Amino acid sequence: MTTALRDLIANPNAAELELIARYGMLPEDARRERAFEAFAKGGLPHRRVEGWHWTDFKAALPVIETPAETGVAADPLPTEGALVFSFTPTGFTWPEDLPEGIRVLAKPEAQAFGASEDMPLGALAAALAGGKTKPGTLMIEVTGQDLPRLHFRFSGDGEANFARVQIILRPGAKLAISESYLGGAGFTASLMEYSLQAGAEFSRTVYQRAGKAEVLAATAAVQLDEGADYRQTTLAFGSKLSRLETRVTHQETGAKATLNAAYLCAAGHHADITTEVRHGAPACVTRQLTKGAVLDGGRGVYQGKFFVPRNVGQKTDADMQHNALLLEEGAEVFAKPELEIYADDVECAHGNTSGALDANQMFYMRQRGIAEEEARALLTEAFIAEALEETGELEDVLREQARAWLAR
Amino acid sequence: MLKIENLTATVGEAEEAKQIINGLTLEVPAGEVHAIMGPNGAGKSTLSYVLTGRSGYEVTGGSATLNGDDILEMDPEERAAKGMFLSFQYPVEIPGVPVMTFVRTAMNSQRKLRGEDEISAPDFIKKSREIAKQLKLDAEMLKRPVNVGFSGGEKKRLEIYQMMMLEPRFLILDETDSGLDIDALKTVAEGVNAMRSPERGMLVITHYQRLLDYIKPDKVHVLAAGRIVKTGGPDLAHRLEAEGYDGVLGEAV
Repeated sequence: MTTALRDLIANPNAAELELIARYGMLPEDARRERAFEAFAKGGLPHRRVEGWHWTDFKAALPVIETPAETGVAADPLPTEGALVFSFTPTGFTWPEDLPEGIRVLAKPEAQAFGASEDMPLGALAAALAGGKTKPGTLMIEVTGQDLPRLHFRFSGDGEANFARVQIILRPGAKLAISESYLGGAGFTASLMEYSLQAGAEFSRTVYQRAGKAEVLAATAAVQLDEGADYRQTTLAFGSKLSRLETRVTHQETGAKATLNAAYLCAAGHHADITTEVRHGAPACVTRQLTKGAVLDGGRGVYQGKFFVPRNVGQKTDADMQHNALLLEEGAEVFAKPELEIYADDVECAHGNTSGALDANQMFYMRQRGIAEEEARALLTEAFIAEALEETGELEDVLREQARAWLAR
Repeated sequence: MLKIENLTATVGEAEEAKQIINGLTLEVPAGEVHAIMGPNGAGKSTLSYVLTGRSGYEVTGGSATLNGDDILEMDPEERAAKGMFLSFQYPVEIPGVPVMTFVRTAMNSQRKLRGEDEISAPDFIKKSREIAKQLKLDAEMLKRPVNVGFSGGEKKRLEIYQMMMLEPRFLILDETDSGLDIDALKTVAEGVNAMRSPERGMLVITHYQRLLDYIKPDKVHVLAAGRIVKTGGPDLAHRLEAEGYDGVLGEAV
């Protein structure tokens, strides 16, 4: 390792040194370099960095190593009829036959990542995706409408798993994708970039489940053109530390974004749902519903921000709701809903609640003979269900996963 | 059947605890319907919660047994499995849980606790259909979340629906007449009367005599300050209605 590389991060820990070493082994590439420098400026984000206070990667990731006991989860999302793209710590597989309307390019080099300063772990994924067996950027261009779902799977034992995917939907294109983050690697970082051109429709379902040893940063950057419709649903069970971050930019009139999520955290599991939506064009709509339920020793983090600039964000219609259930003593939920609005002709609302299950409801159910644990599970499932309703064919699968977790 | 002896109970936590039940003794034999009447604050609802095991209500003395089983040591769901059913004065809304799912879960949980097999889906649906018809309940209503958006009368009818589905051995009806118009009251009373049987006991808690015109009790007890202060036949309810609690109790105590 050269001295110059070593100095990129101030006071690096062993994990950061390993990241620098990995970067040094990749072929030189000016875009990769810019992305890595953007990450290196602050290194792994930690509690003293705004937006990372409750989700401290530097503390959770002292070294990068294959977990002694991995929590690789089975993938519950059906793959029959879907096109599966699989990223593991050491390799990448993708379907050979692609239908018309989808074009896939596995590029060895990195692509420019404009928002790297705002998303340090997205920048890290952009810098470190690639190598001998994996693409630097997986680029997918979609022109069709009646297409199979694309499924992206991130799993497998190993030290680290980095991936970067760009999907561009041409005007009027329609696509549904799903992403499963199933653990196995000590550190997984992905950068997903979705660009919806005029009138495109896109549905994204994210399933995340891993053990108490894995650290994950899944970053998505979404850009919406005129009248585009973006729908996202996340079900996260957390891991040692998991952050699922989505940044949406409404960049032309009349775009619509729906961002729903449910998180269920047991002891030793941390799930962070962070979103930022920028209403950079008039008359765009955002609907966001996040529901969480946490057990003793589990930790949920919700950070949501709507940003509406004065000159471009008029007629914005946006609603943000976060509701959390603390199922036991010792459960922790941290929430930071933010509306930053400079335009004056907008409709923006938000609500944020957290509390225990209703004692009246619990007694009513138990009086009818429903055992305490079952009553708790039924009430919790009902509580989070609304956040999973937009997933179409995958709703039942997600509900089943949530139910199984609640019935454990 | 239900035997309560010298029961004392408090409501509230630690230092805030207030004694509401003060040495209550009462026996309801199988096959009988007993009414409990009493002024506000006498402990009527408290008695129903103590018997069904609501948290926040602590038994400090005495005993309560159902067919010889000490129910006071049991969890609420175990008491339910033993056959205790409380028709709530204020039925609780359960958003997101459809009535059918709720009742089927309750029924199977009870059966599991009793070591019985689950009810089959067709049997459950058949039974539900018959009972809904009897209570003039719309089938659509049973697909909606429990009590959510239901009128007062619909909620009470749904309590009776659940009762008829679960076939408990002992029923406590807590102010079932409140919030009901006369037609709904009749329907509810018909449901309750259909449940009367030699193996089943009922405790009907009510403020007014009106309900007892439709559900005829074998005995009427007057509860005041946490104790049964007077017991009589159905005519006692009429006297209370005519003379008021002060009038009737003034002579007795």
